[in-house]
Amino acid sequence: MNKKQRRLLGSAVTSVVMIVIACGAALPFYYIIVNTFKTQEQTALSPLGLPSSLNFSNYENVFRTVPVFHSLENTTYVTVLSVLIMLLVGSLAAYTFTVWPTRFNRRLNVVVMLALAVPFQSTLVPLYEMMVKARLVDSLTGLVIPYSGGAIFCCFLIQGYMSKLPFELVESARVDGCGPFQTYWRVVVPLSRPILVTVGVFQTMWVWNDFLIANTFLSSPQKDTLVLQVYNSIGQYSTDWPSFMTLTVLSLVPITVFFVVMQRHIVSGLLAGAVKG
Amino acid sequence: MASPTPRTAGAPLQPSPGSTLAGGSSLTAPAGLLPAPGPEPRGARTAHFRKVLDVAAAQSLLTPVVFIFVALFLVPIGASIFLSFTDFNGYTTHFSFVGLANYRALLSSDQILSGLYFSILYAVATTVLVTLIAVPLAVVLNRRFFGRNFVRAALFFPAVPSLLVLGLVWAYIFAPISSGVVNSVLHDLFGLGPVLWLSEDRLAQLSVIIVGVWAQAGWHATLYLAYLQSIPGDYYDAAMIDGASNYQCFFRITFPLLAPAMTVSVVLLMTGGLRVYELPLAITSGNGSPGGPGYSTYTVTQNILQFGVSQGQYGQGSAMSVLFLLLVVAALLVVLSLLRRREARLR
Repeated sequence: MNKKQRRLLGSAVTSVVMIVIACGAALPFYYIIVNTFKTQEQTALSPLGLPSSLNFSNYENVFRTVPVFHSLENTTYVTVLSVLIMLLVGSLAAYTFTVWPTRFNRRLNVVVMLALAVPFQSTLVPLYEMMVKARLVDSLTGLVIPYSGGAIFCCFLIQGYMSKLPFELVESARVDGCGPFQTYWRVVVPLSRPILVTVGVFQTMWVWNDFLIANTFLSSPQKDTLVLQVYNSIGQYSTDWPSFMTLTVLSLVPITVFFVVMQRHIVSGLLAGAVKG
Repeated sequence: MASPTPRTAGAPLQPSPGSTLAGGSSLTAPAGLLPAPGPEPRGARTAHFRKVLDVAAAQSLLTPVVFIFVALFLVPIGASIFLSFTDFNGYTTHFSFVGLANYRALLSSDQILSGLYFSILYAVATTVLVTLIAVPLAVVLNRRFFGRNFVRAALFFPAVPSLLVLGLVWAYIFAPISSGVVNSVLHDLFGLGPVLWLSEDRLAQLSVIIVGVWAQAGWHATLYLAYLQSIPGDYYDAAMIDGASNYQCFFRITFPLLAPAMTVSVVLLMTGGLRVYELPLAITSGNGSPGGPGYSTYTVTQNILQFGVSQGQYGQGSAMSVLFLLLVVAALLVVLSLLRRREARLR
């Protein structure tokens, strides 16, 4: 065997081994998807087998008994509002910290960034009490408040990007008579679009998938987000596995579509986020 | 406290030599770009006025972030510390200071100690296992082979859905009855009876850790991969010419150059691991007790929520929160300084 053949063989072996591993890692997803097309008996008999026929009764059942679209709407509302606020607050702060690095601002910047080390759960108890007093619990709009804490992380990531922007553009906008906010809105925001998309995608995944905050601050069933909807249906479907898996699969559809469309940004968001520390 | 009112913040800006007018500008512009002060005093005064206004406006753009910092971090942490020394319960406005009683109660409660134990066990175990899997995985994913994009996407995907939903899916996979995949495979292949994965202490803990590793390994491999791709190929070419083996290449080139990636990855795994909440909750939710069998998969975060929110025992919940904050910050500092030192040594 010559060198080239050996390399080809090596790559073929890698291929086979890696594809098998990848399929193994994806098995849980295969498992829940195939079972949505089965009856309870079929699921019990062969949990991993393919369904004998495509049976959509589980989907009909779930759509009839669970307000899936309503919780999709709730999740979308909370996510869009939270992410917009985080991006606005974070980018405004990043802009001021970058363009006006006075001694005061530099110190303030360090102090604010200390929040990145704080785990959210350690602020939860007083925050919950404050929210109860302000009558902001069990409200989808109120839920945006705890999420807006993510603005500090946004500010951190956006600052890293803004500090590399050409300063002359900001200066010439100023000479042309733009005030600080106008400069931000007309010059800095358009120039920062790549990082805003990246950070926005990153935070969208967090808010969309969050369980802890939503479960703590929401209580009425009609305000359930998708993740809460799944969680609160455990009891309802405790014996009807196929229906529960159907609900689970349905809850995964939006985020999967988001992943497929935004894959590139998700990976770059991961990298931007990972530079932290 | 740290609320910058525009005017006070505008005052101590870098005083620049020459006119006080230029001192109003704190832009980091090269000096030549700053507009020269106008010749007539009147024009200069309006320019100065405009600059002060600009700085005031710019400082005011920081108000939202300062507000968030104060309202969502500073005040709650201060309140946590304060309440942890009281017996406040939320129902009455009367409360008294109880000194360290809350902390003492925490450290003598089995439920809390096992929560602490499992959170730390989970954090350490997932950190070690994910790192051991992700580094070699990244090296392989960096090679060229057929189906690479599929493999990368499939391994990354578990990081996309909510951990709660993933935990519920795995609860079915580990279930003791025949539709539980693990048990049906064990039965069909080896004729083993059903293993009660989620009802036995050690097995329940192991199950949660397995799922945690599965959910994160691909994500961290992607992180390492990005750093690998930035290693110049010349290094390997030069090493090959010098007769280095693949093994030597990995340990002498790849591994040291991955040190910064490892710092990032391990810090994220450690702090994220200590914060674990919904995964054990979801995986063991099936058998009725949210803490798993005998609190074996109970976490610190679950304790905080149970005391501080569900039961309204603000004093104890706050003490728990303070301990948790100290734990996470201490872990962060220790891990970060160890890994930074390691980076410096390998450089």
